[in-house]
Amino acid sequence: MDPASTSKSEQPDSHTRRYDRQLRLWAASGQQALELSRVLVISGSATSTSILKNLVLPGIGQFTILDSARVTPQDAGNNFFLHRDSIGKSRAEESVRFLLELNDSVKGTADTSDLASILDERPQYLKSFTLVIAHNLRELTLKKLSSILWGDISGPPLIVVRSAGFLAEFSIQFHEHTIMDSHTDDIPSYRLDNAFPALAKHALDLDFDALDVTDHAHIPYFVILVRALHDWKQAHGGKAPEYKQLKDFKAQILRMKKKEDEENFDEAITQVFKAYQKTTVPSEIRALFSNPSCVNLDESSSPFFVMLHALDLFTRKEPYTLPLSPKLPDIKSDTVNYIHLQGLYKAQANAEKAEFTRILEEVVAKAGVAPVPSSVIDEFVRNCHQLKILKGKQWDQDDNSALLEAIATNPAQVGTHLALSALFAFEAAHKRWPLPGSEADLAVAQEWIDAKLSAAGWNEESVVQDDGTQVDEAATGPQSLTFREHVSNAMGEIIRAPTADLPTTAALLGGFIAQEAIKLITRQYVPINGVCVIDLISSTTGTIKI
Amino acid sequence: MPRLSHCQAILGPELFSKLPSTRVLIVGAGGIGCELVKNAVLAGFGDITLLDLDTIDLSNLNRQFLFRKKDVKQPKAIIAARTVSAFNPSCKLTPIHGNIKDPEYDVTWFKGFHIVLNALDNLDARRHVNRMCMAAGTPLIESGTAGYLGQVQPLLKDATECFDCVPKPTPKSFPVCTIRSTPSAPIHCIVWAKSYLFPQLFGEDDDASDLDAAAASGENAIEIDNLRQEASAFKVVRASLLSLDPTDVASSAIFTKVFTHDIERLLTMSDMWRSRKPPVPLDRDSILAGAFSLLPATVAPSAADASAKHSTTNGSQSHSSTKLKDQKDLTLRDNVLLFDSSLKSLASRLKLGREGKVLAFDKDDDDALDFVTATSNLRAWAYGITPLTRWEVKEMAGNIIPAIATTNAVISGLIVIQALQVLRSGLASDGATHISPNTPKAVTPRHYPEKRLLAARNVFLQGGRPSVPLGSFGTVPPNAGCSVCRETYIHVQCDPGRVTLGTLVDAVLTAEASARGREERREISVYEADRVLSEPDWDENLHRTLADLGCGKGKFITLVDEDEVVGNVALAISESPATHPLQGLPYRLPVDIHPPPLRPARLPRSSPPSSPLKQITSPVKANQKRLLADSEIFGTPVNSSAKRVKTTHLVTTLNGDAVDADVDMMKIQIGGAMSPTEAREAQTLEEEGLVMVEGPAGF
Repeated sequence: MDPASTSKSEQPDSHTRRYDRQLRLWAASGQQALELSRVLVISGSATSTSILKNLVLPGIGQFTILDSARVTPQDAGNNFFLHRDSIGKSRAEESVRFLLELNDSVKGTADTSDLASILDERPQYLKSFTLVIAHNLRELTLKKLSSILWGDISGPPLIVVRSAGFLAEFSIQFHEHTIMDSHTDDIPSYRLDNAFPALAKHALDLDFDALDVTDHAHIPYFVILVRALHDWKQAHGGKAPEYKQLKDFKAQILRMKKKEDEENFDEAITQVFKAYQKTTVPSEIRALFSNPSCVNLDESSSPFFVMLHALDLFTRKEPYTLPLSPKLPDIKSDTVNYIHLQGLYKAQANAEKAEFTRILEEVVAKAGVAPVPSSVIDEFVRNCHQLKILKGKQWDQDDNSALLEAIATNPAQVGTHLALSALFAFEAAHKRWPLPGSEADLAVAQEWIDAKLSAAGWNEESVVQDDGTQVDEAATGPQSLTFREHVSNAMGEIIRAPTADLPTTAALLGGFIAQEAIKLITRQYVPINGVCVIDLISSTTGTIKI
Repeated sequence: MPRLSHCQAILGPELFSKLPSTRVLIVGAGGIGCELVKNAVLAGFGDITLLDLDTIDLSNLNRQFLFRKKDVKQPKAIIAARTVSAFNPSCKLTPIHGNIKDPEYDVTWFKGFHIVLNALDNLDARRHVNRMCMAAGTPLIESGTAGYLGQVQPLLKDATECFDCVPKPTPKSFPVCTIRSTPSAPIHCIVWAKSYLFPQLFGEDDDASDLDAAAASGENAIEIDNLRQEASAFKVVRASLLSLDPTDVASSAIFTKVFTHDIERLLTMSDMWRSRKPPVPLDRDSILAGAFSLLPATVAPSAADASAKHSTTNGSQSHSSTKLKDQKDLTLRDNVLLFDSSLKSLASRLKLGREGKVLAFDKDDDDALDFVTATSNLRAWAYGITPLTRWEVKEMAGNIIPAIATTNAVISGLIVIQALQVLRSGLASDGATHISPNTPKAVTPRHYPEKRLLAARNVFLQGGRPSVPLGSFGTVPPNAGCSVCRETYIHVQCDPGRVTLGTLVDAVLTAEASARGREERREISVYEADRVLSEPDWDENLHRTLADLGCGKGKFITLVDEDEVVGNVALAISESPATHPLQGLPYRLPVDIHPPPLRPARLPRSSPPSSPLKQITSPVKANQKRLLADSEIFGTPVNSSAKRVKTTHLVTTLNGDAVDADVDMMKIQIGGAMSPTEAREAQTLEEEGLVMVEGPAGF
C-alpha cells in the first residue's frame, strides 16, 4: 500500500469536516436521513426563515417555501434573510435565495402559489414532503391543511407554530412516530442472571484463588457476579437467591475478597441486582409487539415494523430475551480483562444478531417487503431495548377533560395557549387581526376564551385547590397568579402587538422547531408530544397535553 | 410603517429609543456569536463591538451561518460584521480581530460599554471577561452551549452572583509518569502524543521545567532521571528531522527511538512492571513486512476482539457503509504508514518555515491530527491499550464538544431577551445609562399594557425533560466568599512608567484610612496574579514602577489584608486617557474610595507566602475553595446551588451517551479501572470542566 494513499484515506472529506460537530450527536445514519428529507415551510416569515436556517445549516436535502406574499419594509426589518432591496419582491423567492447561501449542498424552491388553491386542487403535492411546517397560518386554512395531512395515515407530520410578540406555541401532528434510537438512559440487560455459555465458562474456569492480588482486584464485576451466582445456586439446590436472601448473597461476595480495598468486589455488591433481576423482555418493548402495524405486515410495512415483528419472534425462543447488547457499561477492571469481556459480549451479540437477521429474512420474504440494509439492522438491534412508538393526535382536537386537567397543572401555559387560540379565532371570525391595543377587540377575544372555557365545563369554583403538592415554577410562572390572571395577562400581552413576529422570538423558535424537525426526520431522540408553550417574558416553557 | 415598528410596540418606546445608542460588546463570533450579533442588530441595538481572535474553519459552517466556504481562514469578527452590515447598514458594527485578554482591553475600555454579551467557548476567557465586568461594574450576560444543552446567566456586580461565585472544576491533569512511562488508558497515549511527543519533535522545548515540577512533587526520582536522558536524545532526532533527506531515514530513526529503544529502556526498570503488564517494543520493519506479532501475553486476552477489530497484518477489514472514513479501524501497519506520511508532511512544513520555527498541535490541522492518531495508537499497541480511530482521537485530543445550530439559536435568542430585561430594569430604576443593582428575584406582577418590570433570570435549555425544554430561576445574590466579585475594585488611571508601587499603595491606604476616620494604615501584602510583589517585611519592590514590575495596563494589583480582617482590594490598572491628561500627577484614583468590607469569618485563610522568591498560590485561588456548606453559612440560598447542581447533572446525562460525569470523574482518578470508551467519555466531559461551551476551542 502506498503510504500517501493511506494518509488520505484516514482524513475525512469536506462533507464530514463540515458536519463534524453534529455527526458526534446523531451519527452518519441521522445525517443521511436529513440529507434525504424534503421540508415544506408555509410562509416566509422571520420565524419560518429562522427555522429553515437551522435546517439548511445542518444539511437537509431540500426545502420549499410556500408564500404568495411580497416583501414589506417590516419584513425586511425583522427577517434577517431578506434585504432592503427585497422590498416589493416575492417573499418566498427572496428568502430562498438568501437561505441557499448558507449551504451549497441544499436545494431550495420558492413556491409562490396560493395555499388555498393547492388545498383544493392538488393536495397530493403536500404529501410529497417529509415534513410540513406552518407558521401563523390562518385558522381556516390550517384546519384544512391539517385534516388533509391527517387523512393520509402515511402523510407527513405537520408542525404547527403560532407566535405573537414574546409568546409562542407549537405542536406536532402525527399518527404514529417510531423511534429507533431514542437516546434515552435505559440500560440493556447484560444477562448476568442467566449468563450465556461463553461468559459462564469464562467465569467458572477462572481460578480466583490462583490470581495475584493485582489481577484479583481487576476481575470485572460481571465475572464476579456470574461466579457468585453459580456458587450460590450450587449451595442452594440450583435456586437463585430470593429477595430476602440478598443480604446473605452480598455477604458471600464480600467473602470472596482477598484484600479489604478491592473495589471491583464492592462494585459487584452495589450492582448485585444485575445478577438477581431476571432478564425478560421489558414491558414497554413487549407492549410494542401488539401494535397492529407490527402484527399485520404487508408489502407497505416500514422497516421498523418489519424488524419489530422479527424481534417479537426472536423473543419467543430461548433465551426469551432481546438480542444481547454488545456495548458494555463502565466497569472497574484493567484494559486486558475489559477487552476480553468485551470480546465475549461482542461474539455473543454477533451470534444473536445473526439469528435475528435470519428470522428477519424470513419475515421479509413472507411480507414481500424490501430487504433491510445491514446498517439499519445494526442500529435496530443495538437500540432494541429503547425503541419507542409515539401516538399522536390531530391538530386542534382539544379534549375538554384534558383541558381542565391542564389548567390545574399548567395554568400559565394553558393561559397562553388560549390567548393564542383566541387571536386566531378572532381572525377567522372577523377576517382581520385585532387592532393593537384595542380594548374592544380584547373584549371580543376574552369572550371567545370564556365561551371556550364554559364549553369545557370550567368555572371559578372548579379550580383545584392547592393540596400542598409542589407545583413546578415553570408551570405556574415565576409569579403566583391565578389561572384567570394568566389568561388575561397573556391576552393583554398579545393585544399590544397581535401580529408581531419579533426577531428574538423568531430566533428562539427557529432553534426549538428545527430541533423538533431534526428529531422527526432522523427518528432519533423523543420529540415533544403535546402543545409546547413558550413565554419569553418569564423565560418559561411547558408542554400541555390537550 | 417603519421597519422596526413591532419591536417598538413590544419593547415600549422608552427602551426602544435607547437601543440605537446602547453600546454593546459581544465577545466571540463563533456559534453563539454569529446568532447573537444578528439578533442584537434585528432587535434594534445600534452600536455593537464584536471581538474574536479566531479564524474560520470548515467545521464551523454547520452552524456559524454568517460564514461561507470562501471565508475559511478569514478572521471571524471581520467577516461576521461584514455579512451583518450588508443586511443592516444603519447599525454601527465595530469588529475587532483580537484577544480579549490583551492589556489594551482594560477596565476603562470595559466601562465604555453599557452591556457585555459573552459568546465564548472556553473557561479562561469567560473568567477573564467576568472579572473585567465585575471590576468595571458593567452588566454581563454569560452563556454557553454543548450539544443540546445551553444556559444564559445575567451577571452584575453586587446584584447577582458572578461567574466565579460557583467554583468551576479545573481540567484534569495526569501524573508525568503515567503519561511518559505507564499509560493505562487511551487518553494517556493521546496526551503523550499531543502534549509531549509532538512538541518534542515540532514545538518549543519546555520539557525541563515539567520534569522539575514532577520531581518537586515527589514523583519517582530514578524514573524522572531516565526521562531526562530520553529527552536529551530527542534533540538528536529532531535535528535529523530537519537535515536528513530523504525523510524516510529520519522517519525510521524516530520510530525506532520512540517505539523501540525508549520502550526497551523502560523495560529495564523491572520494578515498574512488577504489578503492571510490561509494554512490548515495536519492530518497524517486521510490521511493515506484515510479520510482526505481539507477544501472546499482551494480546491474548483481546484475541476475541482483535479478530474483529484489528487484524495486524494486511489491513483488509470490513466496515459498514454508514461508517465515516475516519471512523475506520486502523491496523498496526496502517498506523506505521500514517506515522510516516504525517511526519513527512510536518517535517517539510517545518523546513519551509512558513509557519515559523515551531509547529503547534491543532485539531483542525490534518497532518498534526494524523500524527497524533498514529503515534498514540502505536503507543497503545505497545502497551496493550485499545487503539482508536482518527475520529475518536480527534474528539479526545481536541476536546470537541458537539455543537449544532438549533441550540445556539435558542440560547442567543435568550441572551438578547435577558439583555433587554437587564437594560429595562435599569431604565425602570433611575434611567441612568448603567443599571443600578436590581433586587434579585424581583417579582412584579405583569400588568397590561407595559408597566411590568422584566426581571432578568437564569435560563437553561435542558434536554432531560422534553416536556419542559426551558428551565429558569431567578438571579442569585453573590457568594459572600467569592474572590472575584467580593473584592473591592478601585479603578486606577496612571502612567505605569512613572508611578511606583509604593506611591500607589500608599495613596490607596491613606484614602482608605481617612475614609474610616483613622490615621493608622493596615498592613498588607501585594500580589499581581500569582506573584507576590511585597509583604510587610519585604518592601524592595515598592520603589519600582508599575511598568518595571510588569503591572501595567490591564493588570490587577491585589492588596491582601495581613490580619485578614477585611476583604481584598483589587486595583484595576489602566492608562490615563488621552482626553484626560493627568496634569502632572502620575496616577489618578476615584474620589470615593471606601474601605473594604469585613471579610466573612469562616473563609479559608489565604496562606501567606513562605518566601518572596517562590511563586505561590494566588490569593484568588486560595479563596476559591468554597465548600458547598459555605452557601448556608453565608446565607446564599441553598436552593440556588441545588438547582445548579441539577442543571449540571442534566448536562452530563444528556450529552449523547448517558453518563454521569461526576461518577465517571471519580472513576478516572482511580486510573485504568474503567473501560476505554467510558474513560474517553468521561475525559471529554471533564476536560471542559462541565462548563457548557460552544464549539471548538479557539482562544
